[in-house]
Amino acid sequence: MHVPTPHTPLPRRPFDRSSFVLSATLAILAVLTIYGFTTFDTNGVDMDMALDMLGDNAKTLFFAPGLSNVTIEGLLKNLGVTVALGFLTTVLGAVIGMVFALASALNLAPVWLSVVVKAFTAVVRAIPTVLWVLIFAVSAGLGSVAAVLGMTFHSAGYLIKAYAESFEEVDAGSIEALKASGADWWQVVGQVFIPSSRAALMSWTFLRFEINFSTAIAMGAAAGAGGIGFDMFMASGFYLNLREMGAFTYAILIFAVLLEYVATKLHTKTMQG
Amino acid sequence: MTILHVDNVRKTYGGNSYALDGVSFSVEKGEFVAIIGPSGAGKSTLLRCVNRLIFVTSGEVSVNGIAVTGLSNPSLRRLRRTIGMIFQHYNLVNRLTVLENVLHGRLGYKSTIAGTCGFYTASEKNRAYEILHAVGLHEHIYKRCDQLSGGQKQRVGIARALIQDPTLMLCDEPIASLDPSAAKIVMDTLRDINTRLGITVVANLHQVHVARDYATRIIGVNNGRVIYDGLPKDLTIDIIQKIYGSEAHDLILADGDTHGTH
Repeated sequence: MHVPTPHTPLPRRPFDRSSFVLSATLAILAVLTIYGFTTFDTNGVDMDMALDMLGDNAKTLFFAPGLSNVTIEGLLKNLGVTVALGFLTTVLGAVIGMVFALASALNLAPVWLSVVVKAFTAVVRAIPTVLWVLIFAVSAGLGSVAAVLGMTFHSAGYLIKAYAESFEEVDAGSIEALKASGADWWQVVGQVFIPSSRAALMSWTFLRFEINFSTAIAMGAAAGAGGIGFDMFMASGFYLNLREMGAFTYAILIFAVLLEYVATKLHTKTMQG
Repeated sequence: MTILHVDNVRKTYGGNSYALDGVSFSVEKGEFVAIIGPSGAGKSTLLRCVNRLIFVTSGEVSVNGIAVTGLSNPSLRRLRRTIGMIFQHYNLVNRLTVLENVLHGRLGYKSTIAGTCGFYTASEKNRAYEILHAVGLHEHIYKRCDQLSGGQKQRVGIARALIQDPTLMLCDEPIASLDPSAAKIVMDTLRDINTRLGITVVANLHQVHVARDYATRIIGVNNGRVIYDGLPKDLTIDIIQKIYGSEAHDLILADGDTHGTH
């Protein structure tokens, strides 16, 4: 073996195009940010007063939450509506997602079918959920129906991709072994694909539920789908009640932390067994 | 009685090179055939042509007198359930228990719905337990397969093949990933299956000395062609040289020794 002498100079690192592009982009962004901050137009605004008011508002929002137009039962009920919207669209999306994932995983479906389904779902995912809701609102009217349809649509597109990728990671050897023993397509799905990717399927679905929960809040306001999002919209835009906004924010925060906790528990549990 | 008949089989993956280039041989019931040859000689392809995991380009393979190339899907399933197969990397479903993996061998006999959902009868479960007893894994039936050692996994693979009630057992490099003592247990189990249950065994082996010790007949393959087909005792160093080409020197040195294959 050739051992380099200590005096051999370190060879120059070869030019790497992607890391060059990355550092160039970061440098340009840094320059633009500094330029932006130094050339703010603050003529019409008294910055000291504005920052003062911002602090006051934040203080009311976060340190003096309270309810006035909505009762605590009303808040819980509307939080329930939002959770239900997120849950329903996740379940519907998961069912549709499972069917089409079976048709788009390359180790389960013929190539042409996989390409067609993957191209279609890529288009579905490229358009944001809010836009799908507005598109469905054309026929269903702005409201909960449009929200359910639009959110289901985007969830399905997302879960098809996530499920199909989990399926594609399944060990080709065990698929071959079961085929060799005479198992048919559905049996291979039920006995190899589902058990091998169960943990991944569960965590993708739960992650989508978390996304759908926050989308459901926004849809309550933007599409009039009801729930706690609509309450927030009323409190902020109609009553201008910062204390109530604070109460709603805390309610959502508590629920989100709860979701996160359950997700972590679920994940460790499925990983073990 | 002829169990397996391979007639002038060719296989190409496109292009001009053949993975199998006119292979012919017959296997009688009760034989223990070892197929030896260097890596890339076409051993794995040959084995997979038998149960049509790979479709032959030309030629014909018959198992128990049934030609495999023309079979419809349901008939192919019926044929496959009579052919057990074990693999170098065991190919178990690691997240399921030992018992569930063994029961997979029954899928070819079950309805789509029962098989998909994993509903097995009590007699099937008892049978699986008996077979696991026979291969010495009765204490591990509820363990997940990823908790087993390599040798144990391969014995689960053998149990999965046995519960099919096979007439023919295909073994694709069954001991290539095992240490010598685990390899011996697996090979002894295969010999047991062959002599006591009368199941015909066709095994791809990389180790010439193992093939000599266990097989009743050796087929040497190189470059997609059968170079040697005869008794283990007639396998001379010259023939090994012909089968393995430049690899032969290492093999002859390692012969009788524990020769690692990768």
